[in-house]
Amino acid sequence: MPLYGTLDITQNTKALPTLANLDTEAWTLPKAEMLQLLIEVPRRTTDGLLPKAMHPALPSYVILAVTKYSESPVGPFNLAVLRLGSRAGAHPRGFLLGAVASTETAAKELRGRWGIPIEAGEVKFLRRHDRVMGTVSRGGKTILDCALIDPQPVAGTDVQYINWVTAANAPLDGQTQPMLIQVDPKYTFYKAERGKPQVNVFDAAAWNAGAIALADPIVGTCCTVDTDLPRIRFVMDPLKPVFQGTRRIRESRSDE
Amino acid sequence: MKFGLFYEISIPRPWTPEKERTVYNNCLEQVKLADELGFDHVWAVEHHFLEEYSHCSAPELFLTACAMITKNIQVGHGIVVCVPEFNHPIKIAERTATLDILSGGRLHVGTGRSATWTELGGFRANPDSTKKSWDEFVRCLPKMWMQETFSYQGEFWSMPERTILPKPYQKPHPPMWVAVTSPGTEIDAADRGLGSLGLSFAGFDEQEKKISEYRRRIKSCEPVGAFVNEQVATTNFLFCHEDEKTGVEMGKKLGNTFNYLATQLISTREVFSSPSYQSLGLLPALRRAATGPDANEQQTEGMAYGDPARIIRAVKKWESLGVDCINFILDANEVVPQDQVMASLKLFAKEVMPVFAQGAAAKGSPAKVAAE
Repeated sequence: MPLYGTLDITQNTKALPTLANLDTEAWTLPKAEMLQLLIEVPRRTTDGLLPKAMHPALPSYVILAVTKYSESPVGPFNLAVLRLGSRAGAHPRGFLLGAVASTETAAKELRGRWGIPIEAGEVKFLRRHDRVMGTVSRGGKTILDCALIDPQPVAGTDVQYINWVTAANAPLDGQTQPMLIQVDPKYTFYKAERGKPQVNVFDAAAWNAGAIALADPIVGTCCTVDTDLPRIRFVMDPLKPVFQGTRRIRESRSDE
Repeated sequence: MKFGLFYEISIPRPWTPEKERTVYNNCLEQVKLADELGFDHVWAVEHHFLEEYSHCSAPELFLTACAMITKNIQVGHGIVVCVPEFNHPIKIAERTATLDILSGGRLHVGTGRSATWTELGGFRANPDSTKKSWDEFVRCLPKMWMQETFSYQGEFWSMPERTILPKPYQKPHPPMWVAVTSPGTEIDAADRGLGSLGLSFAGFDEQEKKISEYRRRIKSCEPVGAFVNEQVATTNFLFCHEDEKTGVEMGKKLGNTFNYLATQLISTREVFSSPSYQSLGLLPALRRAATGPDANEQQTEGMAYGDPARIIRAVKKWESLGVDCINFILDANEVVPQDQVMASLKLFAKEVMPVFAQGAAAKGSPAKVAAE
């Protein structure tokens, strides 16, 4: 059967975000501009980064995303995330390795509501006619400098965003325990462009990404999307295969 | 109704040399038996880099081996990837003609364009252009087989005038097919006069719509070859057992294992945004079915597992929808022991095939009909 990840998140629970409960309210984030770059990485560099419950994507790849949220319940903010391509059972997922938000408030809320492993820092989203750029720095050090080169219009239906999985501590069955949380945003596309990914600076350690080395670019997109960050619906045992260890917390959204 | 075998050649880890050899030998043993039992086809995929799911990257070699140990069963590429980074069209024409000669005119040539990023990215092929390159290839192949000399200047490849050798044994040429997974490909097949080689496990309603549209469109097609190959094949799992419960349980295990492996593949659409890959192909249906290797839920309707009576009901339903041929996957990751695969084939041939024998015998080969 397929390979499994080797990361045991129960061995270092203090490093995980902690949720007060699993009753996170949904957020509506209208007209966000989302730069997303997909890049293949050597399989050996992803060893140990994926929880035991999940399957690695073959070939290994990461998703770098820099997003400008002009409106949110905590005001405007920019967000950069790094996800590792993977599978939760039969479903494609991006396991969240690291994230940076441009405001302390956004970082605190995203960490506490959805278990995103996030810090505050400087996140810039810049659009030019020949490229869309994202830069991230923390403590005066640039940890990501990337771009989508030569963006060309495509249909929103051509773009597929996969759902996220985070690792966090949260109360369940009367005790706070480490678990995997499915975050499945709903997107409504207004505009989509596609181009070539370019990464000038990527500090893997700053993204909790071990020794990941970026290798072969796949594709880059930049989309204008309404994003609904949903209520938490599914959590997963971090050590059991997902098809055995998934629990539904609440019913699916009414629009599904 | 015709019946065939369909091979992905799925091999579980760890991949020891003996295990790969054993699985290949098991497949050959099944094909030899199927030939003796009267099955019509054996198809083999072309896949690359798809760990455990398919180790069938050189189907022309496997199919040649099949042809060498059998007498009547027809051998089919299901499919040859018609993307220049994978296969040069001259080599496709040469290899297929050679296989047709070696098999004594038993070759079918399925065509397609690959659906996974794992493969397209591995060959550094551009997903945007695979439909167009496939279209060029399928229009060139019949001419390369039939014309004494051939030259070509296209968007994806070109060649000066040469004689492509050898020529196929079948005249005018082997029957041509296209893999149909994405919605709309059945129209591509019909418009070009190609057989529809269904590789999905969609339910009755969806297949009925596809087949109906295919039959309607092919009436006014402009065939890329010398004849119209109006045939609809579909894929299924086979496990036939005297006891219905045992048959269903093993069939579900086979189906769940195959589906779970298939859903691990990185579909092109999942990572590469392209108008050429708007659909996920067969994956959504598989994901719905593949809740895990231990799942025991109702699977897609029409599966050919259980006792002979249950399988006959399923096949009759497919027949009523207009399916001409069902190709069976017999195993995945070796979850069905070889002796049980062989027993299942024998029981199917004894109890199920005779029920459907008359129609198949009357139809004959499209290539032979065209030649006559």
